[in-house]
Amino acid sequence: MASSRGGAAQRPNNQSQGKICQFKLVLLGESAVGKSSLVLRFVKGQFHEYQESTIGAAFLTQTVCLEDTTVKFEIWDTAGQERYHSLAPMYYRGAQAAIIVYDITNMDSFGRAKVWVKELQRQASPNIVIALAGNKADLANSRAVECDEAQAYADENGLLFMETSAKTAKNVNEIFLAIAKKLPKNEQVSGAGSTNQGRRLVESEGNTKAAGNCCSK
Amino acid sequence: MSSNQDLIGIIQAKLSSGETASSCHEASLMQGWVRASRILALVEHENEWALFIFISSRMPPEVFTDLAIERVIPVDSDFKCEIDAGEQSGDVYVNISSRKLKLLFEMIPGIKTNNFVSEIMRSMEALMKLRGPPPEFQWLHKYSGSTSNRNSADCDPAPVDAADVDVTKGAKTVAEKMLDIDSPDIVVPRQSIAQGATPIAARESVIRYQMSMKEDDYTFTETLRVFIGTWNVNGLPPNASLSPWLASDMEPPDLYAVGFQELDLSKEAFLFNDTPREEEWRKAVIAGLHPAAKYRQVALVRLVGMMLILLVQEKHEKHVRNVAWETVGTGIMGKMGNKGGVGIRVEIHNTSICFVNSHLAAHVEEFERRNQDYHDICSRLSFSKFVPTKCIKDHDQVYWLGDLNYRITEMEPRIVRDLISHNSLSALLECDQLNRQRQHKNVFDGYREGPITFKPTYKYDPGTDDWDSSEKNRAPAWCDRILWRGDGMEQKEYRSHPILRTSDHKPVSALFESQIRVIDVVKYRKVHEEVMKKLDKLENEFLPQVTVDNTEIIFDIVRFLEPQSQELIIANTGQVPVDFEFIKKLDDSKYCKEWLNIDPAASSIKPGEKCDVKLELFVDKKSASKLNSGEDKLYDILVLHLDGGKDIFITVTGNYERSCFGSSLEALVHISVPVREIPIGKLVELENVREAPGGMEPYPIPKEIWFLVDHLYRHGLKKQNLFLLTGLHSELIAIRNWLDNGSSEPLPGSLYSIAEALLLLLESTAEPIVPFNLHSVCLGAATNYLQCKQIIMQLPEFRRNVFLYLCFFLQELLSHANENGLDAKTLATVFGAIFLRDPPRVSARGRVNPAVMDRKKASFVYHFLVNDLSDYVMSKSLHLSGTS
Ligand SMILES: Nc1nc2c(ncn2[C@@H]2O[C@H](COP(=O)(O)OP(=O)(O)OP(=O)(O)O)[C@@H](O)[C@H]2O)c(=O)[nH]1
Ligand SMILES: [Mg+2]
Repeated sequence: MASSRGGAAQRPNNQSQGKICQFKLVLLGESAVGKSSLVLRFVKGQFHEYQESTIGAAFLTQTVCLEDTTVKFEIWDTAGQERYHSLAPMYYRGAQAAIIVYDITNMDSFGRAKVWVKELQRQASPNIVIALAGNKADLANSRAVECDEAQAYADENGLLFMETSAKTAKNVNEIFLAIAKKLPKNEQVSGAGSTNQGRRLVESEGNTKAAGNCCSK
Repeated sequence: MSSNQDLIGIIQAKLSSGETASSCHEASLMQGWVRASRILALVEHENEWALFIFISSRMPPEVFTDLAIERVIPVDSDFKCEIDAGEQSGDVYVNISSRKLKLLFEMIPGIKTNNFVSEIMRSMEALMKLRGPPPEFQWLHKYSGSTSNRNSADCDPAPVDAADVDVTKGAKTVAEKMLDIDSPDIVVPRQSIAQGATPIAARESVIRYQMSMKEDDYTFTETLRVFIGTWNVNGLPPNASLSPWLASDMEPPDLYAVGFQELDLSKEAFLFNDTPREEEWRKAVIAGLHPAAKYRQVALVRLVGMMLILLVQEKHEKHVRNVAWETVGTGIMGKMGNKGGVGIRVEIHNTSICFVNSHLAAHVEEFERRNQDYHDICSRLSFSKFVPTKCIKDHDQVYWLGDLNYRITEMEPRIVRDLISHNSLSALLECDQLNRQRQHKNVFDGYREGPITFKPTYKYDPGTDDWDSSEKNRAPAWCDRILWRGDGMEQKEYRSHPILRTSDHKPVSALFESQIRVIDVVKYRKVHEEVMKKLDKLENEFLPQVTVDNTEIIFDIVRFLEPQSQELIIANTGQVPVDFEFIKKLDDSKYCKEWLNIDPAASSIKPGEKCDVKLELFVDKKSASKLNSGEDKLYDILVLHLDGGKDIFITVTGNYERSCFGSSLEALVHISVPVREIPIGKLVELENVREAPGGMEPYPIPKEIWFLVDHLYRHGLKKQNLFLLTGLHSELIAIRNWLDNGSSEPLPGSLYSIAEALLLLLESTAEPIVPFNLHSVCLGAATNYLQCKQIIMQLPEFRRNVFLYLCFFLQELLSHANENGLDAKTLATVFGAIFLRDPPRVSARGRVNPAVMDRKKASFVYHFLVNDLSDYVMSKSLHLSGTS
């Protein structure tokens, strides 16, 4: 009979460490702008002068520790060559974050980046966090895209923007960190990613696709 | 189920007599940075239980010699089993710990795991229910070396000495692979992985486990002064300041846990658990606290007359988390709250502490009931707001206080009082029931108590320091006690406070200096980040990796009906087995185009091994028309997906040489030269626009059909089984070349091959002679010749021509039925399937019975084989006897 219980049911948080939120991040952009190099720098801290062109979609994971949460990125580094363009939706559908990369010494690559932004805005998940990376910032001597111009474009489109260099590591961790901070960390989103790593992006597209369709019709 | 029975049998064979394996399970043990297969078994011996951990040289083990005992953990009061249920992820994590030993097992979720874990829980409950001295686990001594020694708190149980037990060779290599968690670099456990161990993934439980193993790296200890007080107040209200009891030390304690018993002896308190005394005594406590510090009340819990109040200095308040309280009644009927216990648990920084205030059964002779009350409180006091619930023993530090009611027996009250007055406490303490019961390990096993230097605290005449003068003349006793269990706890004071005379008991207090583990946030972050980094590195290192010898598969010239193949070599260059699979692109229905065949399209490759994948390109009647019209090209990008890893794109290209096979009738009637002599652009244009190049008068039927039929007409009317026997592939190729390239030679090939070529030509078109849109109309009209006739008359000109031309020819064949043995029904069946080829959708839907459809098609064509066709308007050139 006489029995009392302390407090309402809750799950004890016996450590101060937060929970892990898992997110899919896709890198897009013209061939040779440095997508793979950025990932290699971020994940392994390396840079290769002769980085092979990606034929497929490379997969790596990397964790970023924030104040209260731990963000685990499942990174899909896609092939930039134009002939593989039609395969890109397999990777960006269902992704919660994207880095669109261009080469600051190559105006065309900036134009291509804008096309990617448009495609994502139309086809990807509506709450996808998009970052624009102006890579090869170490080659500022041969700059073809002004920083201000890219910044203005990013502002207009609500993108994160940084000029990066996979070679010198400038802003590489920073851009991933900025994305990690911007991503929503409620249960739902993190729950979606907490199953097996490396599974195909397409399979989790369900909701995103439906949401994308209803605004176009 | 049966396999589990087999496993139990194998384990049983490994055990000695009298030991019974009651339950077993396969699990993965997290060893540092890899996980390795283990077999767990719960073994019983005369009501004592132990968890056996086996390494097996193969999985599953087949004979008992496959097994080697890695560890034996007795299910004793130190044994803990916790399930990590906090994640949605697939696997179940089970923490098994005993003293300093912590093991994390991953189990596959499901009924088997549930059953096994509940068996463990049941064995723990059995232990709780056990009365009398705690189990000794004598029977485990022979496994020493593998036993987690319960008496040496600081000694981490060592893995089995290989010499002790018959470790089989295979098992030994696995055991040797045990990785040191703190090894600076990741040892590549190639071999253990090949043997089924896999790298652990960055799951929350794994990280928690890793962090708990490294606790020393990011925590430091802080000393907390803990004041514990207990007083049986005999139902009386406070009538004097409590500071002589609560504030008797120079320095203010950091934490107070103050317990009362018999707060209120009224019926109301007993029946309704309601009493004004709670607030009165609470206020008295607060008023009596040490004046040199400010305190905050953390929790207060009361059950009838038992009350426990917990206070901390204000400065510590923010470090106190996960506060919970519970009560257990063990009084009347074993449930009522006149006796029992109340508990409060908290976490201060990184240390969990439980405080229990209990009032155990009264009466001198009832010490066994007191023991029982203690055990009941232990088993029933659980803080259920936690998942899984936490019991008293699940805390780093426990303080147990209260009126435990143990008396001094086998001694006359007179002698007792006499000894006390001579200050000969030691003789009395030997007769103290609690001391005796503890010596026999019947109660408070694992707890410690400081030396008693104060007089018994019971029973006095209230308001005095005089022993009970009532006629009961009770012998004095140390009813009021304070015990503790846990590491880093040091008792500084243990005393009574006779100056407080309100009750027939004197209050008791103890002061502790207890080590609390505090997390250094900066160091914690660093260690956490290092753990994450290591897990990332591991995860990336153990991702499936392959190389392919070629990502551009180029087929040179590809011709109709001539298969070509190339090999793709996939080599596993990573450290884990790879499951690969060619996967569909977003909107495609298959992982490759219909003209390509991949064998195997999915398979597994072991590290260091290769897999040859055969890519066969074959343009047949299904794919030819799309390649001819330009709707499709010999171009495909295959997506080779590695399970749990990356994708590789493989481009397949080829140069298709167009043929009359796959060309539409409409295009062919507009071509007067062999197909190969027409530029590709023209061909595509013809397929799509259907206009005569240069205004040429189109043929009534394609010349290719005419060549084939004419040949059969001249040479094959008497041939048996024409259209029923198949031709030779090589001859079909020769016929194709003859038709496509033109030749002055006679048409090559046997009559059977030529007949088959004719059928193939008709089957390779994008649409059959009766277009798909008339398909169902024809089937509906199949029994009615007139309707069939009407449909045929409405066909587009060239189609109608071809249809009738072929029917004329078939009638001609049938007129030689005596020689060739053919009959109208058979031919109608063959040509029904060709003239009325199913639209792609229909066959996919599969709603209509195909046998019924085939019969309808045959009966449609049958009309035209047995009725006179001479009234059909036919162009002259359709006469069978024409020459080229
Ligand atoms: N100077 C300089 N060179 C870079 C930088 N990042 C990449 N590169 C070079 O640019 C070339 C292309 O880099 P990748 O990382 O392969 O480019 P990618 O975008 O992955 O290309 P695809 O895989 O074909 O889509 C390599 O030779 C890199 O060494 C950079 O920040 N600075
Ligand atoms: Mg790349």
